[in-house]
Amino acid sequence: MSCEVMNKERVGVINPIFTCQPCGAQFASIGIKDCIGLVHGGQGCVMFVRLLFSQHFKESFELASTSVHEEGAVFGALNRVETGVDVLLMRYPHLKVIPIISTCSTEIIGDDIDGVVIKLNEGLLQEKYADREVHLIPIHSPSFVGSMVSGYDVAVHDFVKYFSKKDKPNLKINLITGWVNPGDVTALKHLLAEMQIDATVLFEIENFDSPVMPDGNHVSHGNTTIEDLIGTADAQGTIALNRYEGGKAAKFLQKRWDVPAIIGPTPIGIRNTDTFLQNLKTMTGKPIPESLVRERGLAIDALTDLTHLFLADKKVAIYGNADLVIGLAEFCLDLEMKPMVLLLGDDNSAYKDDPRIKALQENVDYDMQIIMNADFWELENRIKNEGLELDLILGHSKGRFISIDYNIPMLRVGFPTYDRAGLHRYPVVGYAGATWLAEQMANTLFADMEYKKNKEWILNVW
Amino acid sequence: MKEKIAQLEDYIMKHCLWQFHSRTWDRERQNAGVLGTTMNILCDEPVANETREDRCYWVDAVCLADAFKSRYSWLAEMDKAAMKTLMQALKERIDHLTISGSLNKELTDKQY
Amino acid sequence: MPYHEFECSTCIPERKKHAVIKGPGEDLTSALPEGYLNTIPGSITERGCAYCGAKHVIGTPMKDVIHLSHGPVGCTYDTWQTKRYISDNDNFQLKYTYASDMKEKHIVFGAEKMLKQNIIEAFKAFPEIKRMTLYQTCASALIGDDINAVAQEVMDEMPEVDIFVCNSPGFRGPSQSGGHHTINIAWIKDKVGTIEPKITGDYVINYVGEYNIQGDEVIMQDYFKRMGIQVLSTFTGNGSYDDLRAMHGAHLNVLECARSAEYICNELRVRYGIPRLDIDGFGFEPLAQSLRKVGLFFGIEDRAQKIIEEETARWKPELDWYKERLMGKKVCLWPGGSKLWHWAHVIHEEMGLDVVSVYTKFGHQQDMEKGIARCEEGALAIDDPNELESVEAMLKLKPDIIFTGKRPGEVAKKIRVPYLNAHAYHNGPYKGYEGWVRFARDIYNAIYSPIHQLSFLDISKDEIPTNQGFATQQMLSDTTLPEEVVSSREMRQYTGNYDCIPDYLNKTYPYMQKTPASEN
Repeated sequence: MSCEVMNKERVGVINPIFTCQPCGAQFASIGIKDCIGLVHGGQGCVMFVRLLFSQHFKESFELASTSVHEEGAVFGALNRVETGVDVLLMRYPHLKVIPIISTCSTEIIGDDIDGVVIKLNEGLLQEKYADREVHLIPIHSPSFVGSMVSGYDVAVHDFVKYFSKKDKPNLKINLITGWVNPGDVTALKHLLAEMQIDATVLFEIENFDSPVMPDGNHVSHGNTTIEDLIGTADAQGTIALNRYEGGKAAKFLQKRWDVPAIIGPTPIGIRNTDTFLQNLKTMTGKPIPESLVRERGLAIDALTDLTHLFLADKKVAIYGNADLVIGLAEFCLDLEMKPMVLLLGDDNSAYKDDPRIKALQENVDYDMQIIMNADFWELENRIKNEGLELDLILGHSKGRFISIDYNIPMLRVGFPTYDRAGLHRYPVVGYAGATWLAEQMANTLFADMEYKKNKEWILNVW
Repeated sequence: MKEKIAQLEDYIMKHCLWQFHSRTWDRERQNAGVLGTTMNILCDEPVANETREDRCYWVDAVCLADAFKSRYSWLAEMDKAAMKTLMQALKERIDHLTISGSLNKELTDKQY
Repeated sequence: MPYHEFECSTCIPERKKHAVIKGPGEDLTSALPEGYLNTIPGSITERGCAYCGAKHVIGTPMKDVIHLSHGPVGCTYDTWQTKRYISDNDNFQLKYTYASDMKEKHIVFGAEKMLKQNIIEAFKAFPEIKRMTLYQTCASALIGDDINAVAQEVMDEMPEVDIFVCNSPGFRGPSQSGGHHTINIAWIKDKVGTIEPKITGDYVINYVGEYNIQGDEVIMQDYFKRMGIQVLSTFTGNGSYDDLRAMHGAHLNVLECARSAEYICNELRVRYGIPRLDIDGFGFEPLAQSLRKVGLFFGIEDRAQKIIEEETARWKPELDWYKERLMGKKVCLWPGGSKLWHWAHVIHEEMGLDVVSVYTKFGHQQDMEKGIARCEEGALAIDDPNELESVEAMLKLKPDIIFTGKRPGEVAKKIRVPYLNAHAYHNGPYKGYEGWVRFARDIYNAIYSPIHQLSFLDISKDEIPTNQGFATQQMLSDTTLPEEVVSSREMRQYTGNYDCIPDYLNKTYPYMQKTPASEN
């Protein structure tokens, strides 16, 4: 009985769980108001990421490409960054922030995006846009390093590093959410409001879910402002919920501006949400109010209806971004479930030293496997050829065919979840997220029991 | 005559694809093959359709001739000589639209 | 030249030559936009890259193949599960995708060794699959890996496998179209003619430029089979790798999407003397013409005629029901490439729709020639459109519906223009007689959506009608129709199944005797 931590042994990837760094940098950049990311590379690096975002959110986001072609690949393509910045500024009068996001091709050819930013700052911006506030931010996100997760982490760090500036210390805190959905931000802001804590949320993405309006607006965008980013240096503390998606920025603020940082835990489940609230209390001195005691009570009440009757001993596989997977696994254990396989995307060597993974290794009392740098074949092969039996899969839509082909019910969670309607509107964090997750898991199992006629009658008298 | 050619041209442009191959040499071949054979059919002349290539022109020509006959009743009233003049002028017009007067810069690329 | 200058693009004057409005008395010699030129950086184009044109559009529909991209993981991830090209082998090519997962150390030290390991691993994971396509990406092209050499080495060591290499990095050419070209030429050069064709019929075609979106290829195969025609290969939807190696064995190439696949047809004509017949699988009349031409070619026109009559009798009353209700509705026909000309004229003639604009993301001037030729006067034609131009055009033209891609469709939604997916379709297939009715049905359902109607009400300003608890599509579509149309007993709505493809796949086709008429 042990929890085994291992790496995928194959060199290649059969069905990837995650995409590459530029996607993460682009995801961060759409969270900022008056910002359009300019991706320096081939057009596909933008077109497909925009498509992916539109699949997940059912919304369109603005992102631009420098459209690098052969001559650029041979002779360098910095001239296309210069044109790209100029064209964006000419055509989008409100635009203030342009992150210049590198890709594998432009990193390999060695295009100096830091240098071109200096050149543009001293040249084009002064000559042509002297009356405009424009920020050009080079973000290095080569696709052959890390994954979309690290790309996001790097970009959040780079934005914070660029803008943060000490003015007058205030009582706000910085809340760096990590790669989450609008529904999560709403849930987190609700917890902060109940605690009467004023926070800068990175990023304000509730408007990713945008309405059809009588005036026919056509843009979905995040709302984090330049002022928000500047003010991060004045906060009394930073809480980064996800270690690998924003942790880097929290550490930067601590080191550069002495803003104390608490990193993690991902507030998935009751226990991690409790810890999050305790961290907020410690950081701000604000008490946890009765309203949250009641809210927690509602969640516990809901979970009690499900745990030992339905969820206990159910075998689960979980895949996706590391923080999400670990958080979900912890919650499943509290729900008496048995996470059998955790598949963590990308080759980040820090995962194995994650205290949460260490805790699993020390305490899990059945056979669990944690696979680093995993792909979907690691999961499918275990099911198809090695006898792994599962009751439930938790993960994003790209793994849908494993669920379909092996008749294993699956709850979509994470990014992207394009094959289910509206999931981005619901939280997985906080007490509300705990309730939603547990009830959705239960309902997913119920539907499967009825479909397979597997003790479906048990629900007659529940 | 001009009005008649305009009607035939309109049909070809809206309904046919054979005139829009990608290179000049193909468009010349296609226009000559299909329109030449169409003229033969309309004038009740024998047509070559033995080789696969000729046969491919011929099938487009049969369909074009039928469409012309069913849509433009004035064709039936024309004699062979007038028909030939008309079809020659039509071919010149299609050549102009798709080749000599074409603004498509890829027509002269050396390779496919 | 009747160029159209967008207000949002006056600051990038080179864009002016990319949009025209064909006016009265104008033809292709006076109205044709520029095409297939490099996109202006920062203009927020809708274009993709040459890698996706090769791998995602043409390569991956081949169904019995391991599709392995040599590069970082993103190219593979991004081009996975974003298309609807199905296959009759349980969608193997949709479900499985492979990346060599190039990392920094490979960029520095080369990645040929790990590529070889990758290939072997992939074959080991799927022992029943013996065919593979390797796709170069930006990264593997720039570090100069010799993918062909690695592939050859593996083939030498594993004689039972065959590997095709497609060197089409993302930066090659202005758009995905560069990749279409590269993979066409590579396939004819490296693979066609390397296997003996299995000829089982008297009349043999390759069906080219057909990607089996939502089953298009299956529905068209039905017609060919009913004519007793052997489809030796389909390039590439639902197509088999080895069948496609035998393309040289066909008598005729029947070409649908000339944009993505005319190159291989041209080469097959030059190298093997197989003629190229361009057809339209969309629309009753163009399809009838197309089937008739194929029939004529083989001397079996009567068989085509029989299908045309049967199918028309079955489906025409359903098409007409929708036509009566779509008459005069304005369409922005904004697809990727070929559909701008496949659809421009026939949706006007057979559904009564008015095409107010066509655009192409990756088409060439040739596609615009075809599209503009088929449009009525006054249509706005845009090459390589960008976000702001599309919005400006929609606000100006006020279309009733737009046919475009998934993401631009989300932009249209906010402007309150209903959208249909022109690439992957809503509820296709759209080819064939039944497919064409499904297309009309989808257009009708989009335009007359009661929810869409509600999006125009501003509850803060407008009088809210309080006497209506619901609306149906027909309550919205039939109010202005003449009584004889509304009460017609001949016309009817679509009567097929949600998924019509299984019925086609389950059919059997008896051998048809060679007819004397076709002996020549």
